[in-house]
Amino acid sequence: MLKRVLIANRGEIACRIIRACKEAGIESVAIHAANDSGALFTELADIVVELEGNTIAETYLNSEQIITIAKDVEADSIHPGYGFLSERAEFATAVIESDLIWIGPSPQAIIEMGDKMTARRTMRAAEVPVIPGEEVEGGIEEIIAAAAKVGYPLLLKASAGGGGKGMRAVHSPEDVREAAEGAMREALNSFGDDRVYVERLLSGSRHIEIQILADSHGNTIHLGERECSIQRRHQKVFEESPSVALEPDLRQQMGDAAIAAAEAVSFVGAGTVEFLLTPQGEFFFLEMNTRIQVEHPVTELVTGVDLVREQLRIAAGEEMSCEELQMRGHAIEVRLYAEDPSNNFLPAIGDLLTFIAPQGPGIRLDTGVRQGDAVTPDYDPMLAKLIVWAPSRQEALQRLARALDEFVILGCTTNIRFLRELCDHPDVIDGWTTTDMIERLWPDGWTPDMTGRILEVAYLAANAAEASGYGRKGKQSIIGNSSELETPFATLSRRYP
Amino acid sequence: MELSYLGEDLSGTITRDGQLFILGNMVAEVDNTVWITIDGRRQQAHVALSKDAWWVHFAGHTIRLDIVEAGFTASDSGGGLTAPMPGKVLEVLVKTGQNVTEGQALLVLEAMKMEHRILAPKDGEITAIHFNTGDQVTGGALLLDLQTE
Repeated sequence: MLKRVLIANRGEIACRIIRACKEAGIESVAIHAANDSGALFTELADIVVELEGNTIAETYLNSEQIITIAKDVEADSIHPGYGFLSERAEFATAVIESDLIWIGPSPQAIIEMGDKMTARRTMRAAEVPVIPGEEVEGGIEEIIAAAAKVGYPLLLKASAGGGGKGMRAVHSPEDVREAAEGAMREALNSFGDDRVYVERLLSGSRHIEIQILADSHGNTIHLGERECSIQRRHQKVFEESPSVALEPDLRQQMGDAAIAAAEAVSFVGAGTVEFLLTPQGEFFFLEMNTRIQVEHPVTELVTGVDLVREQLRIAAGEEMSCEELQMRGHAIEVRLYAEDPSNNFLPAIGDLLTFIAPQGPGIRLDTGVRQGDAVTPDYDPMLAKLIVWAPSRQEALQRLARALDEFVILGCTTNIRFLRELCDHPDVIDGWTTTDMIERLWPDGWTPDMTGRILEVAYLAANAAEASGYGRKGKQSIIGNSSELETPFATLSRRYP
Repeated sequence: MELSYLGEDLSGTITRDGQLFILGNMVAEVDNTVWITIDGRRQQAHVALSKDAWWVHFAGHTIRLDIVEAGFTASDSGGGLTAPMPGKVLEVLVKTGQNVTEGQALLVLEAMKMEHRILAPKDGEITAIHFNTGDQVTGGALLLDLQTE
């Protein structure tokens, strides 16, 4: 068994891993940058060490410093979470060479899957279907030539990419040069690698991913699918399991393909094989994520498997403890972002003056923040993941709607209302979800439906609070003391968070 | 929209587009909630005050009401283009004196690890550029001046 795990991450996933460690009786070590001091994850951990440096490269991406700390505090293992160093093979190698246990797959598996172009070639060899497209060796001119071969519409993707960074959809040849330059630049900035390749854009497809667990005793299993079709600019927004599009037969086929993909790189640990499923029922390998994923709770709620706990077992060389796949009920996760959906989803910042999370049956909240924290532009704008479970998809949507209505975040603009309106959309209710649906449903951008007296109540409530002196230190209540109540209404102007 | 109050209990009426709404009794409690009785039903709103705005949560909606200080008027007709949030100028795509068309990309800003394009809201001429490539900008900083017809 592991004794002391250093978590090379921050925010909600650091909290998630620390909690799994506590439950398993393992000590946890949090590391944090100076601007994260006092963050929730640093309070949960048993041991806390502050990283030196200012930028992300000097702190959370500084493998040398992180390994030195791990040795100093006598940790026996490192969990990378997602993002940051989780899919950096050279970090995994350095961890292993420092006689620490790497909680993840082998560096070789990370390399083979992490480079998207290499992965496409490996999958072809393992007879897993890949999206029609062209790998590109070279720069801008070669990309443009490959684009002409693939045909439009197409997607430019960073070979080292992920999370929608370094990715561009291109609909006509006139736009390809500017898009390729943008993709290369973003890829270089985000990953230090500007190689970009070309794939056909399969519009109207669903994004289906299969969760894999493999241990070092030769067991590789799949834990069913997650459907992550509702995306915005290739960032997942709404994730669920099971998918309405999968009958048991297709689930079996995709599960088998995912196991074949994992075995092709001798994968050990928790990973996810992503597929695109076309309206014709064909599926294509998209990529394999060789880490725990943001949306893993969805699978945990429908299968009853604690994926992070299994990661800890597998890393210690034990056999995984899960039984054969059993799925029960329906789970949905939404990602709450600090962003303004009515202003092109621009990231927002602010203080979490009020943060009241929903409660009750079937509700899980994974977050790294709480009331009083500040949302800054330093890190990813994801505030929390809200995950619900219910016996059926319909009830899960109803539960999600209720939970989102209860969720109060004041002081920072969020996408809560946008997510809430998604729950009521007929296409979502019917399960008619495709990766382009947000652009399809709101081509001119989204604004909240404010029917009823929402706005009037808001003005009144703000005025009542103002008049009562609430929130203003040293200002006395003016209730009941004046016939001419001073109203701030004329000076308030509305914005839609 | 016009608003007025009826007295000490903070009953409210609101006139919007010539229509009168009476919102019943409202009680502002000491903490961050306000109870409002509408059509005989008591409902709760959450409120919070930030530096420059009142935030209200009611019936699943969150509304931000900016407090505009007296003497300051927000102009939305042409004029300056401001940074929507703190970030770094990645690229300036136009020159001073250049004529631009509505929707044309003027400047690329990097914030929260993503690129954001600042687009021309209307046709016009760029009369000034206040930052160069690589400069850090604060949220709300004036990036360029656009003279519209």
